[in-house]
Amino acid sequence: MTGIAQRRTPWQKFEARARNILPFGLTVVVMLFGLTPTYVPGLSQITPLYTLVAIYFWAIYRPDLLGYGLAFAIGILEDLLTGAPLGVGALTLLLTQWVVFNQQKFFHAKTFAITWFAFVLVAFGAVLLKWFFIGVVADGGFTPFGDLFAAYLITLAIYPIIAWLFSKAQTGLLVEP
Amino acid sequence: MKQPTGQISRLGTFKYLAQRFAFLSLIGLTFALMLIGKADTVIVERARMAVSDAVTPILRVMAEPAATISQFVTNLQELGAIREQNAGLRETNARLLEWQAVAQKLENENRQLRALLETVNEPAARAVSARVVADSGGAFAQSVLITAGGRDGVAKGQAVVTGEGLAGRVTQAGFRSARVLLITDINSRIPVRVGEAGDRAILAGNNSARPRLIYLGVKSAIAPGDRIVTSGDAGAFPPGLPVGRVVVADEASAVVEPFVARDRLQYVEVLDFGLTGILADTVGVK
Repeated sequence: MTGIAQRRTPWQKFEARARNILPFGLTVVVMLFGLTPTYVPGLSQITPLYTLVAIYFWAIYRPDLLGYGLAFAIGILEDLLTGAPLGVGALTLLLTQWVVFNQQKFFHAKTFAITWFAFVLVAFGAVLLKWFFIGVVADGGFTPFGDLFAAYLITLAIYPIIAWLFSKAQTGLLVEP
Repeated sequence: MKQPTGQISRLGTFKYLAQRFAFLSLIGLTFALMLIGKADTVIVERARMAVSDAVTPILRVMAEPAATISQFVTNLQELGAIREQNAGLRETNARLLEWQAVAQKLENENRQLRALLETVNEPAARAVSARVVADSGGAFAQSVLITAGGRDGVAKGQAVVTGEGLAGRVTQAGFRSARVLLITDINSRIPVRVGEAGDRAILAGNNSARPRLIYLGVKSAIAPGDRIVTSGDAGAFPPGLPVGRVVVADEASAVVEPFVARDRLQYVEVLDFGLTGILADTVGVK
């Protein structure tokens, strides 16, 4: 592997680099997708937390390509774009990533079902954290739980879809670590 | 590659510490940003609008398929009910024609009376149409991004309406995009009048689809079905814009169903009454 790596042409180097920003790029795309209005009655109220799914997925499978810095950048970008209190989204994503990074042994070579179940717990913590800090920072106080819980459930439900898409992208396009 | 193991482990420790340091400083940074954002600084607002301006063209393209599909579905639904709708519309038309006659008579009368009293006319509104390209925040925030900004004359504080009524107000205006805080957002506070008596109250959003009325007078007798309109107090909005209808009214709370539904927002109009100057940074406009 190293032998080949040494003889890479500039184009190959560029290509490898382009592929390495794939996790970040896909996360941004998913975030923008989450912002797009669907015009379906009742749906915008319970938009799932797309970036949370993305950050969690990459933290497990490619921690080398999406670290704290990029997670922070995504969180800030999302806060700026959604009009949410600045910093809250970034904090949520950073702490989610931190939890996964610290449990690398647990996540190592686990089945899909187990990572999904772990996501049920991690996402619950993340939603609660976001709810708490938005409540503290926003002038209006705390958001009622009703729609939030629905958004949480939908987030859990879309996890397999996003995980499937991302793993396709990963096996198809990404260079092995 | 042939380093002694001690050096490798030292390198590993260094990497670990660097990562830990990065994590902790980023966490610190998020808290600092929360404080800065809380203070509502101009920098944060500028940053928000710069990002929105940059991303709006992309969102505009992304919103296209959803809009097309939604249009198609609506068309199909309408096709099925076209006969009944036609009959209904004919009936409504007849009724509206009667109302038109009444309105014309009243308008004439009004004009004459105004002339008699020499009242100053209310400023006419200039309207800017815009498309909604991002419905952001999910359950946490209720705001949308629209495709009109400073270049179209959109400014902070202006009222945003649809055919049904008040949708929200502009909280940030960039160059080619603007953010509209919907009346259902937890930060939204709008001075309103309730029912025929016109009792003053504040319509407070709580991030659910149904905002509540607060600061309602003790003696005010409101009932389900009462219409809510903007009061024009605090100079925030022109008076009389339809907002919603009371659905629950008991001792504990008064809940309002807005006329404008968040998920049906596709095109909006931004109204410029020339009122923004006094309120840009005062009560109710954030």
